[in-house]
Amino acid sequence: MRRRAGVGAIQKQKLEQEKYKDKGNEIQENQFEQMTKQLEVFRLNLEEFATKHKNEIRKNAQFRKQFQDMCASIGVDPLASGKGFWSVLGIGDFYYELAVQIVEVCLATSYKNGGLISLRELRTRLIKARGQGKQHQEISQDDLICAARKLKIFGSGFSVVSVGKGQYMVQSIPGELSMDHTAVIEQVANSNQAFTSVSMLQEQLNWETTRAQNALDHLLQEGLVWIDLQDVMEKLYYFPSLFTACINASN
Amino acid sequence: MSDQFEYPWQYNFPPFFTLQLHTETRAKQISAWRTLLLNYCKFSKTCTLDVREASHHPLLSNTSINRKLNTEVVLAILSDLQRTQNAAPIDKQRFRWEIYWHTLEEWGNLIYNHIVSRGATNSVLTLFELSQGEDVRDEEFFGLETEVLIKALRVLEKNGKCEVILSEDLQGVKFF
Repeated sequence: MRRRAGVGAIQKQKLEQEKYKDKGNEIQENQFEQMTKQLEVFRLNLEEFATKHKNEIRKNAQFRKQFQDMCASIGVDPLASGKGFWSVLGIGDFYYELAVQIVEVCLATSYKNGGLISLRELRTRLIKARGQGKQHQEISQDDLICAARKLKIFGSGFSVVSVGKGQYMVQSIPGELSMDHTAVIEQVANSNQAFTSVSMLQEQLNWETTRAQNALDHLLQEGLVWIDLQDVMEKLYYFPSLFTACINASN
Repeated sequence: MSDQFEYPWQYNFPPFFTLQLHTETRAKQISAWRTLLLNYCKFSKTCTLDVREASHHPLLSNTSINRKLNTEVVLAILSDLQRTQNAAPIDKQRFRWEIYWHTLEEWGNLIYNHIVSRGATNSVLTLFELSQGEDVRDEEFFGLETEVLIKALRVLEKNGKCEVILSEDLQGVKFF
């Protein structure tokens, strides 16, 4: 005899569903708790690691880079906070200090390069300015990029421009460079000379005359290039920031 | 002083010889040229410059990079020097210029301080003694061109510190 569905069955079903739900919640809570525990352990370990290797991190540029990468991959930015346990490390301070020095070098050289400087020259000058004190720390290009990027929060006044082949330029003038301007800088930085011209850009980048001329005019207006009208062929545009004698000049 | 003049990096930077249009860049350019020109004159102990000969001037044209300053730019630099009393035209056409790496007033003071330290006030010195004499061999104004020397002394004269005597048989100065 077929039984018809009764109130009891429905209630039973309901009860089961509720039990499943409870169990589910319980499991979820468990997992969450475990996760928190794990994270706590991880944080402790990371903290311990950082404290233990504090000196190593401060002194060894390569080690610092690896530590940075490790932190970045798990979404921790030791530079971001000057507070909390990271302040024990003084890593943030290290980069703040670098950032200030970067600004100093950029300002001190802007009278001749117009506010554009290769990362290599910046590094040479910065290391020289820091001197070989007792607390000498090795400064790598990565450190500088890291610190210079932090300066972005001040607006468009500071930016790091990649010019290919692992080379960078730091720009310290207000106003952003467009893709075209960066392309011009990149072209010149990767050639063995410090100048370019409309026809050279046309050839290298496949640009229309107007486009090349506009880009160069803008760079001229920003004071990043100097114009030379004495070439027999055409107008040449020179970057003091890429001119070897200027880079090596002591003042 | 070393016997080789040390050129700054700009000297080999081709656009340094073309007047820049961008205001800020041009200001930097003129300022660099000012310093360079004054240093060069001080080094070579020359006080005169003829704008018409600029294209043959060892400083104003750099043959190794085939660049030279045109007259317009030379005049711009000289005018800027004139503004600070570091240069003055000596003819109406503004072709010939005198360049003072010390202004005339500074020259006057240098000379006067030297005279005072020597206790040579109230005596008459010939201009030759003052610029070529043994006693001034170590002074900066040793070998200073007579024209400039007289002008510097005239400034002192105006302040009542000396009297310049320029007669046929005596070119001298008496300090007070």
